[in-house]
Amino acid sequence: MLVLEAVSYRYAGAERPAIRQVSLTLDKGEVLGVVGPSEAGKTTLCLVASGLAPRAIRGAMDGRVLLDGADTTALPMHEMAARAGICFQHPQTQISGICGTVFEEIAFGPMNLGLQRDDVVVRTWDALDVLGITALAERDPMQLSGGQMQLVAIGGLLALRPAHLILDEPTAQLDPGGTRLVGECLARLAAGGASILITEQKTDLLERICGRVVVLEKGGIVAAGPTDEVLAAAGLAAMGVAAPSRVRVRRALAGAGFGDGAIMDALH
Amino acid sequence: MVGPITLLATAVVLPAAAAGVLRRLLRTSMVLSLPIGISALLVNLFFFPGGSEVLLRLGPVTATREGLELALQVLARILAISGAITLFYLTTRPAELVVDLERRGVSPRLAFVANASVQTVPAMVDRASAIIAAQRARGLDTEGSIAQRARGLVPIVGPVIMGSIAEVEQRTMALEARGFTRPGRRTLLWHPADTGAERVARWLLVLTVPALLVARSAGWLDLLG
Amino acid sequence: MIELRLEGLVHVYRDSTVRAVDGVDLQVGPGQRVAIVGQNGSGKTTLVRHLNGLLRPTEGRVLVDGSDAARLHVAQLARRVGLVFQDPDRQIFARSVRAEVEFGARNVGMDRADRNDAVSQALAATGLEGESDTNPYDLGDSRRKLLALASVLAMRTPVLVLDEPTTGQDVRGVEIVGSVIRAAHAEGRTVIAISHDMGFVAETFDRVVIMREGRIVLDGSPAGVFAQRAWSTLEETYLEPPFPSRVGARLGLDSTPTDEALIARLRERASDSVL
Repeated sequence: MLVLEAVSYRYAGAERPAIRQVSLTLDKGEVLGVVGPSEAGKTTLCLVASGLAPRAIRGAMDGRVLLDGADTTALPMHEMAARAGICFQHPQTQISGICGTVFEEIAFGPMNLGLQRDDVVVRTWDALDVLGITALAERDPMQLSGGQMQLVAIGGLLALRPAHLILDEPTAQLDPGGTRLVGECLARLAAGGASILITEQKTDLLERICGRVVVLEKGGIVAAGPTDEVLAAAGLAAMGVAAPSRVRVRRALAGAGFGDGAIMDALH
Repeated sequence: MVGPITLLATAVVLPAAAAGVLRRLLRTSMVLSLPIGISALLVNLFFFPGGSEVLLRLGPVTATREGLELALQVLARILAISGAITLFYLTTRPAELVVDLERRGVSPRLAFVANASVQTVPAMVDRASAIIAAQRARGLDTEGSIAQRARGLVPIVGPVIMGSIAEVEQRTMALEARGFTRPGRRTLLWHPADTGAERVARWLLVLTVPALLVARSAGWLDLLG
Repeated sequence: MIELRLEGLVHVYRDSTVRAVDGVDLQVGPGQRVAIVGQNGSGKTTLVRHLNGLLRPTEGRVLVDGSDAARLHVAQLARRVGLVFQDPDRQIFARSVRAEVEFGARNVGMDRADRNDAVSQALAATGLEGESDTNPYDLGDSRRKLLALASVLAMRTPVLVLDEPTTGQDVRGVEIVGSVIRAAHAEGRTVIAISHDMGFVAETFDRVVIMREGRIVLDGSPAGVFAQRAWSTLEETYLEPPFPSRVGARLGLDSTPTDEALIARLRERASDSVL
């Protein structure tokens, strides 16, 4: 279980904190969505949850990040990486650039941890399997499509076998095919019991895979609860978040007098 | 004279032929050696002190046979050095070299930098082309006078540098997120084969150097010219 | 108000044998709003870069306002066709928002009065009027993208080409992009945009061009292009019709790419059945 306890984070040289007093819990097997306008603090939240802030990124942090009840302050980055793995929106900068094949790229993490060679190999094949990209094992990671590259990045995470996955707008830079590829893979991971914290602008995707959603605005949580409730709330647009297509169309139809059963059924 | 030529032949040309890179080696090596080779040749040919047999007189300078001999020797030595370096470069794959260094204890961070630095220039060139395209699309004239083009560097250099730095930051985070900062060695999936024959050859090469030095100072090499 | 024409356009990149654009004929009349959609690698970006001369045809012609673009420099074409790239960080170089927006307007030779006017308008249109003196890197990703848009808007070109204006944008950003496009259209400017957001495309554009492997496979209004008969073509290009289309299909209604269209057709059906 990953817990953020009243966490505030201010980047070095910034006047104001990027997130203020944020508390949230990611249970084992849960998929938690985080939404909010640009600059609301979603990325900062992800960086803090994964430990990159303040370890790799200078800044001042208040509050605590706990993993299974234990404070993570003393944990070095390589140990955080094996517990709360993070993936970003730009596939190109997540590929190490020094691995000639997808296999080596995904094995990169376990190799860094100094695990036994056999263990490294098993974990890598497992990750390739789960993501359905075994066919890409021999390919050059730099020559893949955006969607494929993003899956390799996620694979690199999975090979570390972290208890929690943190994904910061994983489909933002992908074309429709790539979005679908990654979206389906995330749905499979979610169905398989992975703990995922995911930020996205695409609420349609979150509606499909998240059990709970949290809305972030100007660094603070302004709404939290079950996905259907939060994403159907009337004030969502005012918070800078687009309602999922289903919710939007239902509202439009109901407003035009077409709220009857048969029509509403067609929305599902 | 025979000495340096023999050296060249055995240490550089024969192995290159065996590895199938002789032609590339000759080409590259020639290009590398050309400037220094020509100047060494001319200096030694015309300015050799105490030469007796005159070959050519050009105004204040004289070309002598002794000068020519020395010039050719020096040239042969230059070719040997550049040939050896080129041979190394042509027969070694960077990825293998780095993995092997790491296996023998070089820090993974150093190994990473060695590997990644190969990517730096192409990545920057790529970024620069994209930036130039964007600025041209906003009317930046890259086809005008030199002065104009020089002014046009400002909207290009800035984003190239800022962007490259930002990319380094992002990549650093990605590396840390995969445990790269763990102290100590990392597991390697493979390393280049190191056969018994190669090990013997390596030791032979290492022992040849002091052997040659001894031979030189004892005067045996002079017998070969 | 100018017309754009691509005739038999083929483009093969240097060091490649692949035809990135493989024989495209396209005519865009003045004032049209055209969305170009398709997977990455389908040739969309290659195609639009011919419109301002950044790329030159391997075969075929590009006509901008009746003249062959081959005869004009990119700097000259930039006065007629303004192209906004996808990554703002591969263009932003000035130390203030204002200076960045002014750059293009200055390059195309606007006099000071017009320039100030254009810059103020562009800043207002993209919601950046309060950030005139801000350093662009102090803005978030979303607003930096809007800054890149503003810097081309200020050039007041008759044609605007936008490369993925809504990718990575938040809701407010997408709204602003939509209103910029509508305002440009109202002024009679032609707008061409590459986009991956089918909902946005259906609501904002009059014409949708679908590309695949360097060729145009569908070209029509949103209602036509997202109609059920086209769904198999869309499937082949990994595109999904917008949600209202799918809802409409389930209710036996064709061609309902937007919420409004869906409601309109439902009303039609309701009044038909009354009669």
